[in-house]
Amino acid sequence: MTLMNTQFVRLLKSILCLGMLFLSCFISAEAIEEEAIQAPVNELHTTLISIMQAAEKQSFQERYDIMEKTVLKHFDSPLIAKVILGRYWKTLDQTSQTEFIDLFNQLTIATYVDRFDSYEGETFKNLAVEQMKENRFMVKTEFLPVDDEPISFNYIIQSNKDKWKIISVIADGINDLSLKRADYSAVIKDQGFDALITTLKEKISALKPKS
Amino acid sequence: MTGWRLFNIAKLIIPTWLILLATGCATTQNNDGASDPLEPANRVIFDVTETLDKHLIKPIAEQYVDVLPVPVRTSVTNFFNNLGYLNVILNDFLQGKFEQGITDMLRFTYNSTFGIAGLFDVSTPIGMPANQEDFGQTLAVWGVDQGSYLYIIAPTTTRDITDQVPSTLLNPFFYMQGLIFAPISALSAINTRANLLEATKIRDEAALDPYSFTREAYLQQREFLIYDGNPPDTGYDDIFGDNGDFDDFSDAGDSNDSGILIIE
Repeated sequence: MTLMNTQFVRLLKSILCLGMLFLSCFISAEAIEEEAIQAPVNELHTTLISIMQAAEKQSFQERYDIMEKTVLKHFDSPLIAKVILGRYWKTLDQTSQTEFIDLFNQLTIATYVDRFDSYEGETFKNLAVEQMKENRFMVKTEFLPVDDEPISFNYIIQSNKDKWKIISVIADGINDLSLKRADYSAVIKDQGFDALITTLKEKISALKPKS
Repeated sequence: MTGWRLFNIAKLIIPTWLILLATGCATTQNNDGASDPLEPANRVIFDVTETLDKHLIKPIAEQYVDVLPVPVRTSVTNFFNNLGYLNVILNDFLQGKFEQGITDMLRFTYNSTFGIAGLFDVSTPIGMPANQEDFGQTLAVWGVDQGSYLYIIAPTTTRDITDQVPSTLLNPFFYMQGLIFAPISALSAINTRANLLEATKIRDEAALDPYSFTREAYLQQREFLIYDGNPPDTGYDDIFGDNGDFDDFSDAGDSNDSGILIIE
């Protein structure tokens, strides 16, 4: 009876250990996954803080070059371009699609460099990671100015070829993807795709300082 | 109440209800999903307002910013925000936010007394920050559809414009008599425009079609406020189509009620 009791306790312990091992593996896998989902956002924030801190010492072009690497690495630009142009996307040949993606990237980078142009101790804070539909997550963060209210910065992240990429930025409730879609579609509808390309070039040129 | 005051109230109510009658049931959506059946008229008003702003109001606001130091402008903003805060309190209670309503009553009392008629915001540092509530948000919480987009001096909708009635009637400034009314109105308008200088600069830098940009930004910002900064994530999924791999994206555009773009 005592032997049976001892064996039962051993069995119970083994089951418990296996269960805990399984649970810890599951929790750590989830933690690793969450970290991977946040990685592009964290790197974007680190780059933004660095270009803000470098604003007085470095030129616009130098800060643009730093920002460019992060945007090209962590934004799924082809997908963003496809969503923004909607069904018009399929009517474009590959050259036009590539030209649009390239100009869109330039405008995104120049806008970041133009807006994040001074540093007074601002920081970013990660708040939560929430699953959306399919293989898509929302990373919720806040931009914390020194003497002002926090500004909500949320990111939609989606896996592309096993890499997590930013597909939309939602600043203070305004989804950049929807905003650009409405904005660009109005130009295409009224003036055509060539006018959109011309206007994008003008916007990029206006943001970059004249040398 | 004087005849002049009644005339002012009528001025507020009549256009609001005429617009509601004319467009309240119209929920036709435009090519990018926003309900904007009055787009041609809105665009005309937008262009006139932009022209007036560019040549008159914006230059005055820029001068105002150059001349007045930041603490003075902050106090002017605090003063006008405090005057309008009774409307926030009313809408707290109308939305069932009783705890927030009581905190906002305290905030109004503190700022009106210790903050010297609202010139100083003494409530935020002690844990009573300002809330943004209005009658448009209340109607949304009650289930009223946003209606049609309107542009009348500023962006609004047939639902949100109804806030003009309670926000005006609950503002002590509205009952002010005498010659001081006109200069204080002007100060309020210039100060409001001055506070928007940075936002309009960002818009002008980014927007390819300022009208569409303003409309989209306004409607999204309102959604954000209605949900007190936490709109459901599902709303952000709509733009991607249904199956998530985007292969059906262009076809999803045929759905004219999902906010999906259709470019003819």
